Amino acid sequence: MLHVALANIKTYARRYIAVILAVAIGTAFLAATLAVNTSTRATLKNSLGDSYKNADLVAFPDWSMASSEGEESKDLSMSNLDDVRKLNGVSTAYAIAYSAGEVHTADNGYTVLTSPVSAEQNLGGMELVEGRAPLRANEVLIDDSHAKDMNVSVGDTISLNSQDTAAKNYTVVGLQRSSTDPQISGYALLGMQEGAWTKFAGKDFVPSSIVVNASGNIDAVQNELKTYFTDQKLKNISVLTADEKVIKDVAALTDGSDQLTMVLLVFALIALVVTGLVVVNTFNVVIAQRTRELALLRTLGAKRKQIRSSVLIEALLIGILASVAGVALAVGLMAGLIKLLHIYVPSMSYATLALSPIGLVIPVIVGILMTVIAASLPARRAMKLAPLAALRPFDSASVKNRAGKLRIIFGLLLTLGGAALLGYGAYKGELPIAFVGGLFSFPGILMLASLFVPSSVYGIGKLVAGRSVAGKLAALNAVRNPGRTTATATALLIGVTLVSMIMVGGQTAKATLNNSIAGEYPVDVTVSLFDQKADPAKTEKLAKEISNIQGVEQSTTFRSATAVIDDPGSSEDAGLQLMAVDPQGFEKVALDPSIVPADGEVVMVSGYLKPGTKTMTLGGETLKVKESKASLYTDIVTFDTLKTLKTVDANSGFMGVLVKVDPKLDSAAIGKLVDQIVETAGVERYMVDGGVVQNAMFSQIIDVLLTIVSALLAVAVLIALIGVANTLSLSVLERTRENSLLRALGLKKKQLRAMLAQEAVLIGGVAALLGLVLGVAYGLLGAQATLSGMGDMSYDIPWLQLAIVLVVSIVAALIASITPGRRASKLSPVEGLAAE
Amino acid sequence: MTSETLPLTDYAVSARGLTKSYGHDSTRVQALRSVDVAFARSRFTAIMGPSGSGKSTLMHCLAGLDTADAGQIMIGGKDLMSMNDDELTMMRREQIGFVFQSFNLVPTINAKDNILLPLSLAGKRHDRDWFNTVIEALGLRDRLNHKPHELSGGQQQRVAVARALLTRPEVVFGDEPTGNLDSRTGAEVLSLMRTSTREMGQTIIMVTHDPAAASYADTVLLMKDGQLVGSIEEPTVASVTEALASLAE
Repeated sequence: MLHVALANIKTYARRYIAVILAVAIGTAFLAATLAVNTSTRATLKNSLGDSYKNADLVAFPDWSMASSEGEESKDLSMSNLDDVRKLNGVSTAYAIAYSAGEVHTADNGYTVLTSPVSAEQNLGGMELVEGRAPLRANEVLIDDSHAKDMNVSVGDTISLNSQDTAAKNYTVVGLQRSSTDPQISGYALLGMQEGAWTKFAGKDFVPSSIVVNASGNIDAVQNELKTYFTDQKLKNISVLTADEKVIKDVAALTDGSDQLTMVLLVFALIALVVTGLVVVNTFNVVIAQRTRELALLRTLGAKRKQIRSSVLIEALLIGILASVAGVALAVGLMAGLIKLLHIYVPSMSYATLALSPIGLVIPVIVGILMTVIAASLPARRAMKLAPLAALRPFDSASVKNRAGKLRIIFGLLLTLGGAALLGYGAYKGELPIAFVGGLFSFPGILMLASLFVPSSVYGIGKLVAGRSVAGKLAALNAVRNPGRTTATATALLIGVTLVSMIMVGGQTAKATLNNSIAGEYPVDVTVSLFDQKADPAKTEKLAKEISNIQGVEQSTTFRSATAVIDDPGSSEDAGLQLMAVDPQGFEKVALDPSIVPADGEVVMVSGYLKPGTKTMTLGGETLKVKESKASLYTDIVTFDTLKTLKTVDANSGFMGVLVKVDPKLDSAAIGKLVDQIVETAGVERYMVDGGVVQNAMFSQIIDVLLTIVSALLAVAVLIALIGVANTLSLSVLERTRENSLLRALGLKKKQLRAMLAQEAVLIGGVAALLGLVLGVAYGLLGAQATLSGMGDMSYDIPWLQLAIVLVVSIVAALIASITPGRRASKLSPVEGLAAE
Repeated sequence: MTSETLPLTDYAVSARGLTKSYGHDSTRVQALRSVDVAFARSRFTAIMGPSGSGKSTLMHCLAGLDTADAGQIMIGGKDLMSMNDDELTMMRREQIGFVFQSFNLVPTINAKDNILLPLSLAGKRHDRDWFNTVIEALGLRDRLNHKPHELSGGQQQRVAVARALLTRPEVVFGDEPTGNLDSRTGAEVLSLMRTSTREMGQTIIMVTHDPAAASYADTVLLMKDGQLVGSIEEPTVASVTEALASLAE
């Protein structure tokens, strides 16, 4: 049977292009996911290993080696280093130790990590780029990238101090290569002569490890070290080879990247399921077309099993071809990306493409298995063909698909059970329950797809067609083979459902967060000048400048102060933090009018007051209490009231500006606005806060997540659209006779193309529409389950984005119909009728 | 035919009490009404009758392509009615050859592979001498590497005949084998089939409605309304035409 299968693939290669493409993309996704994982590890190994690059052995405290019987564990010390250097077979040894310090240049101050460097001891693992090693106590090395930032070069003098040591001048005698170890990269590194460093950091400074180069047998030196540390009662010190240590460090750091891999794997799985549907469809059509041929083989003595295996052999060959191509595509893509990274981000030069044999073999195996398993359903159908089918002169190609009763019952159970769980989870705000509900109900709905997809396609088709013949035929053709239409539409429906679910969920999450955050802050934006003493004139000027920024509606100043509560019942004096404002100005920026104080009043949050509290004595004055339901961080009084109070920090309180922004601004505009405020006020970013700022931040995070997830799901949608084109072009082949008959009877080429286009749009559009409906439902319920614990839900459906999804699906379906349409219309009426 | 005088097993193909109907209740069609028939070895028999007479159904049942409702079918001494699908498949593979009206060659493989298909399905090697004998007899030597679409209708049908003969089956069934051929190439194929009966001892049973085709047979069986109604030995075009005309009354 192998030669028949091979001959079939060779002859009908074109029919398999789309399915090979689909399988290749699905497999490539999986392979890329695994390659991301291995490459992350290799990159980390490359960068983490930077510290031990030329080392043989590393001694370090291993906290998993718990000291037995409550023995006190001892730390490494610099004196251990001296001992280690005297051991047999140790050629060089140095400590890896980073002690923080501050460097001051002529212009600025920097936080640095200092480390011991000894010219005789392998330079402490450092690599000189320029100059020489520090030999005297007042000489240092600086890492090359930070030297540039600090504007320091060899020969310059810098001042270095730490919390415990006074500033001292040092001469820069060389530049060391900056480290790619992610644990220390980002800090400026300063290499000091070892003795000087020990004085600077203190004799008791605990090094993180001792690194040894052996002159003799490494195993012997390793044993020597182990014995030494045991003798020293340093039981929790582990001695590993440098390679072993790096592997250990990578394992500790890659937990996060494994989670990323898991998430990516889920998306790869979705893409593969969609690919499987495309495969099922392709083989169904191919087998329908070959009914006569397969029946002939049965007549000539092919057993049922032989028919099935001939179909499966074809699937196997296609699976092998497509999976290998897919993995090659993924490897090429990853290599290209890393190359780009090397070119455009020089600091990531240690990024490495790593491919594990397993990571390459698994996607190929999964791709092949998926293709063969997906083809086994159509193959079973082929097996059931009666030999007699070969003798019927012209077999009509219409295949009846009866949805299996079992599948319907199972699908119904899954849908109902899942929906109940989903509803309950959403109602109670229990995400895990809702998640399981979604996990059950969606496959359940897909199992039931054959019940509602063909009828929706037909119904909408009839509605849209009106009186055009081509339209009516398209509607009929689209449901001519309900099983095939269902599978094609389902592939697209999965992608669209997930995309729209994410969009609706994300939008609702944004709206809900906006709402709940807005309630937490009394004003849109607060600029707190923590670092300056209160200066009313200057702050007033700043408020004016800020109000000139585009997008700012109002601004006013405030002053922070602390007054003591005179509570006769309490022995201790409790300080109350207050914000003093100008009531006229504050009224214009306050988000809730109930928080605006009058003179002689203090606005307090009702939740924190004893019920029935009418007045409160603060800083020697009795003030009327105004309760507010809004959540406030501080209690509010007017400037005039504040003047009458005795405050704790009369001389040290700070001032600031309260800002109201245009409510129509979106998160990107707010981000920009905050940048402008930061610049205008000349403050650090953390001093600018408020509901709007928080919202903008959350919105941006959600938007980034949405974009990434949508892009990942787009792969599944792309494969599904290839499926639409595939189904259509196979249908055209199948209907050659019929289409030429229509042409012979007077259907214009244009009408024929329009008919196919309408068929594609119908399947694509209805699938997208159903997907959107499902996606909106899942998105809202999912958001409810996730967020209802955070307070009131604000449901928000991104109509525009959903409309774009629908339009993209329809346009893509239209594009998918171009090639099949062209092929169908090329056929001359006579040719088609002659072809058998 | 003298089915009473010989036990059924002495014939290449025989059937007793063969009954078959299609449809249910009001749409019920009785295609075969208790047909008794036997085909002697090394004979070329044609089955004729007006459309709807049951001749095709009879052939499909005899070839194990369709199952009869009741009766007994023996081929080479084995009862088809008691066989399961795999056994029937093995039967078709080893004991039965087919020649169809529409040639029914696998379009993707060449003539030689088509001829060898039943053997390769069985995973068997072919007998080189026999292969050469068949190929020479059918004049296909130069056409073995051609794909079906590169062959004329007559050549395609000769490939189909070669495929049927190669396994040396107990019987070859022909279903209107010349229906798609012009009269000259049709005559060529029919002579080849007759030669295979005479020289290779091949039993052939052919369904046709063409008196000219039937005239190549040794015996013509006539059917009407699901029953055998007569037979003609050593038929001529004239005798067959006359017999058919009398059936149509």
